[in-house]
Amino acid sequence: MKNKRKIGNRTEVQESESPIAISVKSLYKSFRLPTEQAFGLKQALFNRLRGIKGYTEQKVLKGLNFEIKKGEFVGIVGRNGSGKSTLLKILAGVYYPEKGNITINGSLIPFIELGVGFNPELTGRENVYMNGALLGFSNEEMDEMYDDIWKFAELEKFQDQKLKNYSSGMQVRLAFSIAIRARGDILLLDEVLAVGDAAFQKKCNDYFKELRDEKKTVILVTHSMDNVKKFCTRAILIEDGKITHDGTPATIADEYNRILGIK
Amino acid sequence: MKIPLVLNRKNRILLKELTKTDFKLRYQGSVLGYLWALLRPLMMFAILYIVFAKLLKIGNDIPHYPVYLLCGTTMWSFFTECTSQGIQAIVARGDLLRKISFPKYIVVVSATLTAVINMLINVAVIIIFALINGVEPSWNWFLAIPAILELYFLSLGLAFWLGSINVKYRDITSIWDVIVQALFYAVPIIYPISMVAGTSELAAKVLLLNPIAQAIQDIRYGLITTETITTWNYVLNPSVIIPILLVIFVLGFGAYTFRKKSKFFAEEV
Repeated sequence: MKNKRKIGNRTEVQESESPIAISVKSLYKSFRLPTEQAFGLKQALFNRLRGIKGYTEQKVLKGLNFEIKKGEFVGIVGRNGSGKSTLLKILAGVYYPEKGNITINGSLIPFIELGVGFNPELTGRENVYMNGALLGFSNEEMDEMYDDIWKFAELEKFQDQKLKNYSSGMQVRLAFSIAIRARGDILLLDEVLAVGDAAFQKKCNDYFKELRDEKKTVILVTHSMDNVKKFCTRAILIEDGKITHDGTPATIADEYNRILGIK
Repeated sequence: MKIPLVLNRKNRILLKELTKTDFKLRYQGSVLGYLWALLRPLMMFAILYIVFAKLLKIGNDIPHYPVYLLCGTTMWSFFTECTSQGIQAIVARGDLLRKISFPKYIVVVSATLTAVINMLINVAVIIIFALINGVEPSWNWFLAIPAILELYFLSLGLAFWLGSINVKYRDITSIWDVIVQALFYAVPIIYPISMVAGTSELAAKVLLLNPIAQAIQDIRYGLITTETITTWNYVLNPSVIIPILLVIFVLGFGAYTFRKKSKFFAEEV
């Protein structure tokens, strides 16, 4: 194949004596975005005959280097399209790195989105088991925590309703209640803080405080500088696929507001 | 290097739950529910039986022809369901692939397992019909197991291979529908292979080198009647191993292609 794609390395290790939880070395990632409807066989054939590549290369991450120590609560901030979510997905193993080396030390639980695999045609009960399986819980383990999940979500009455009859707020609450059961060494969270009404928000905040106090390693992608200042012990600012600032939550929050033009 | 087909605990849980969900969703919202898994092939059988056995009077020379026909249509449905569901699996589960990291083959395998469950239910029905029809129970029934496995591996190989192309070129789904239609007539399901053999021995031999035809004839030989033509007792030259080689090739090549392409499914789907 003439346009063979390169692949970097992502390795998972279990080294309890090492203080490093995540190490990222010169990470690059670009996406191939199809141009002029390069979908379908016909267009692909035409493009090949005419020598058109049929895609444009968009460089998203341009050489990231950082290390995260165990017990750090790191906020990753940046404007839309700066590459935060791509970074998170590469750390989670959803996307492959194009170049560079990533080492994950410990078991990693990614929450790219809440309620992955939720199906509107299934009941709340069935969805809880499905979602639990995606987090790696067996039926027996789910049986054990089943009641707690519903209690935390405050949705006990709706267990046997189909998910399509839930409001979107209820769905997210249920998803969040399952998600916090997952126990791993490293957690990746993508904008899942703002969930539900004020009362439920408080529960979520308590959960994050607990994570921080238990010295869990957490990477949190967010736009909320309040949360960065409230929970994080360190923050990283990404601009246009590069790390421009890495420091205390307060200084990064100021820097972020500065580039946004908010004073 | 990790062996891709090792099922660790997490993957086993996931496979089980995905298969369960697939099976539930298939008959979601229908009054008869799971009964459709039985009714659909039985109805297809009824149509074929009326048209071919009663109106066109085909198959009078084969003992237990109705069950013989049912056996063929069931296995054919199994093959088509397995492949079409398997090919679409990656695209259908795109939401999962984009959000979490897990071995992608699980999605394909779980989609085909639903077809396996349906097929097993139908095999039970075939056996009941066979007994009613006067087929004697025999050890030969076990001969059907390797043939069914062969058919499954072929379907799985095709699902891996075509499914990984389908992620980028969705045309595959439509092309496969047409190929399946054409294949249906190339496999001796509604017509007995003895009919072809009566006209042209060579044509019959060529048809029997198709692994689908070989597997289905073997299943019929095992379950229904030993008085049927199979690849083994009809194609009496070294080319007799072609169907087996084809299955091994399709599964191997399919798994290889899938493995290579699966790294980019999350971006492309």
